[in-house]
Amino acid sequence: MNQFLTASARALAWSSAVASSRAARQVPRGGVPSVIVLVAGAIIVLNYGLLYTGSVFVLSACYAIVTAGMAVQIGFSQQIAFSQSVFFGVGAYGVAILNSHLHMSVLLSGVVMVVAAGLIALLLGSVVTRASGLALAVATLMLPLIAVGYVSGTDFLGGPVGSPLNGTLWPGGGSTTLVALGGGLIVVVLLAAVVFIASRILSSDIGLELFVLGVDERTAAALGVRTPRRKLELFVLGCVCAALGGVVYAGTQQFVPETVIDPTTELALLIMLFIGGRRSPIGAVIGALVIQYLQGASNWVSVNILIVEGVLLTVVLLVDPEGLSGIVQTGIAWLRGKSEPASAPADLAAAELAGAELAGAELAGAELAGAELAGAELAGADPPAAAVAPAASAGRESPDEIAGPDARDATLLEVRGVFKEYGGLSVLHDVTLALPGRGLFGLCGPNGAGKSTLLNVIGGSVAPSSGEVIFAGTDITRRPPHERFYQGISRTFQAVHLIKGRTVLDNVAVACLASHTASIVTRIGRSRLDAARAKATRTLADLGMAHLADREVSSLTLETQRMVELARALASSPRLLLLDEPASGLSEEQRQRLATLLVTLADRTCVLLVEHDLALVAQVSERIFVLSGGHLVFDGGPADFRSSPVVNSLLVGS
Amino acid sequence: MKFGNLLIAGITTGSIYAMFAVCVSVWYRVSNILNLAVGDFAMVGALGVDNLYRVKGLPLPVAIITTLVVVAVFAYLYDQVVLRIAQDGRRPIEGIVITFFFTFALSFFIDGVAKVLFGTDVHAAPTLWGGPALTLGSLNFERAGLLVLACAVIIGGAFWLYIRFTLGGKALEASGENSLGARIVGIDTRQYRRLIFIGTAVIAALFGIVESPITGFTYLSGATISLTGFLAAAYGGFRKPGRALVAGLFIGVLEAMLGGYVSAEYGDTVLYAILAAAILAWPRALGFESAVSG
Repeated sequence: MNQFLTASARALAWSSAVASSRAARQVPRGGVPSVIVLVAGAIIVLNYGLLYTGSVFVLSACYAIVTAGMAVQIGFSQQIAFSQSVFFGVGAYGVAILNSHLHMSVLLSGVVMVVAAGLIALLLGSVVTRASGLALAVATLMLPLIAVGYVSGTDFLGGPVGSPLNGTLWPGGGSTTLVALGGGLIVVVLLAAVVFIASRILSSDIGLELFVLGVDERTAAALGVRTPRRKLELFVLGCVCAALGGVVYAGTQQFVPETVIDPTTELALLIMLFIGGRRSPIGAVIGALVIQYLQGASNWVSVNILIVEGVLLTVVLLVDPEGLSGIVQTGIAWLRGKSEPASAPADLAAAELAGAELAGAELAGAELAGAELAGAELAGADPPAAAVAPAASAGRESPDEIAGPDARDATLLEVRGVFKEYGGLSVLHDVTLALPGRGLFGLCGPNGAGKSTLLNVIGGSVAPSSGEVIFAGTDITRRPPHERFYQGISRTFQAVHLIKGRTVLDNVAVACLASHTASIVTRIGRSRLDAARAKATRTLADLGMAHLADREVSSLTLETQRMVELARALASSPRLLLLDEPASGLSEEQRQRLATLLVTLADRTCVLLVEHDLALVAQVSERIFVLSGGHLVFDGGPADFRSSPVVNSLLVGS
Repeated sequence: MKFGNLLIAGITTGSIYAMFAVCVSVWYRVSNILNLAVGDFAMVGALGVDNLYRVKGLPLPVAIITTLVVVAVFAYLYDQVVLRIAQDGRRPIEGIVITFFFTFALSFFIDGVAKVLFGTDVHAAPTLWGGPALTLGSLNFERAGLLVLACAVIIGGAFWLYIRFTLGGKALEASGENSLGARIVGIDTRQYRRLIFIGTAVIAALFGIVESPITGFTYLSGATISLTGFLAAAYGGFRKPGRALVAGLFIGVLEAMLGGYVSAEYGDTVLYAILAAAILAWPRALGFESAVSG
């Protein structure tokens, strides 16, 4: 008991230290980058606005509005859609037509076109964002090709000649100086606003969702990210930014040439984004500036611009895939490291080792905690029990409150007559099983028996060919994975599906976001990321893993990675926990620690454990299902499981 | 015989697409990198031969061989310098998107160099098989078109046979499926990546030489060629040279038919709309899912 108390006290102290240090280096959400853009941009426009340099700057700012949106859509969320040049054209041509044909002011027609572009993008996006990955990229690659065919064929838009404007972006009119400077300032203000909005979104809880979406769409859905909606929002956001860029381009250049809609514009925009830094809105702005300056340099650089761009892009990506912004960030970190006392790298390595050892100690603590829990519950309500059991402490009502004291007996999950065929291949054949609200249940079977498919059917990432899945009394057979997550189904994956490049804390926080009802726009004002992180910190502390919170996940050992994944699955206080081979790759000692933890969990939730380690399954499960060739061939307790001839011939192999 | 002549025209364009699609998909299969510089190698082949033969006055065979050797050496150097740093270092650069941009950059670089060397005018390599069009009834066969088709079938078929029936082909497939696993069982994946990169670059250059009398090239033609090759490879599922060949021919014929029967002006636009709809309707059947996850 003493040992346990020390362990949990240490964990708590650690987590509060982590929380305070996090609060101390809280990054201003988009404030600084947008203020830099605003001030620097205004200075450049006011000083050089009438010179060639100033005009190049304003042009690059027009493109930067587009690339800042691309950083959110393409770089950060990895939704590759080649729709920018088309919507840039929609904005630019739209303003030209409204202004020169209908005599609408440039500013008003700009507003009209941005709204129109948003609506068009909403329609188009609801079709194309059904596709993922390369399919999305190739499908949207057709958009510029179609648009070019249309523009060069029609007289309405001026064809190859282009479309002139009568008005200017600066609404007041007046002298050329005022028009040039005023127009430039409007562009700078809009650019700063776009950078601000983009940074706010990326640093919010939905930014974390988008990051996960970019890494792996299926994992994102299993963690409650409403993927179809996010993808549509991203598409619309990218298109609206592109249209806004087109609007200010037309307003400041006063002429729309056919080349704006050319696929080479799309290429140029992508190169700006990747040179500047694909994930960072401010990087995208830098990229646009650099490329436009090189192109407008009017010396040997602009003559040989293709060679320069080719070499620059290659070198920048070789040095850092995150582009110039990545290089700058590394440089700042390096300078900071230099200013601190020497031999920082050695210290870091030492700390990591110590951390790894600590991880072992903490996990042992968790095990102890599990052992203590049983005693604590016997003794009635004991404070440490509440601190240890994740379901009780991690917020949300515990199963007891929902289902009452009979939760152990009431049926939570029912799988009824599920079939799954891939082509002619039958993977699941008439599988029927029911699980109560608490307890640990094993699912075994040889490779290819359909275990993971059954988990996927329950989790929602695979739709059954026929049959039903009933959860807590409702039919969820056709519900998407993210809805099931919020109903209380949580899972881990056979191969560890953590989000590389993010900390342990953020990996767990993903499961605590509860942002499924929110839209991207609502997060410009207020982020719920800190709340989710606080909840994740509590979950980690409960599992004795608080000291790992700031570690990047790919630097951890396999056991710790599996523990982090388990922590993530537990963080949402699930009613049903699906674990796909959590013990694979672990040592015997590590397995025993895991077993103890699982038994503890099964006291509060229903756990379905897919596992190849028969001894482990028989040790912890109260009931075991065996699948073979898609058929459920065994269903019984551990004693029967050990003696069953079917099980022996199938799994032990005489 | 409008249909017959449209079909011939379609197959000729289609075999151009098919050829570059084969180059894209074979290298993607081994390296998991989509090569968007394929068309630029073709452009260099055509304009290089034209420059050496017409401007510098070298004999045609010497001009062709010199150009191909230069392309091979350049591809070798690119692999040794850029791809080695990018992929074989301690932090290999992964992810289809980033590697995509390396070939983008390569494409820009080649175009820029070509602009300096060959200027900005439209040129073409001399026809290898001159003479009037062959006729069969009312059907016209352009000799250059026949040559293109023959090249596509021979080289595409050779790749297919190589991958299907030889140990080298299996090793190549293994390199792309699981690079680490392939290396563990003793396959030098880097050597295959280099070999196929140089091979497809030379083949693309050769194909540019054969094809250029039909369309004519400028220093900027590479991007268009790469794009069509990329599209056909996409509809072949990216990894399957055989399917890429068929997809290229199909797209070519569809394009000719739409141009002939629907609208000469908006035929291409309709074609692209059909292609986009096809992906959205059957992403799985077209092999996009496996291409992404693999």
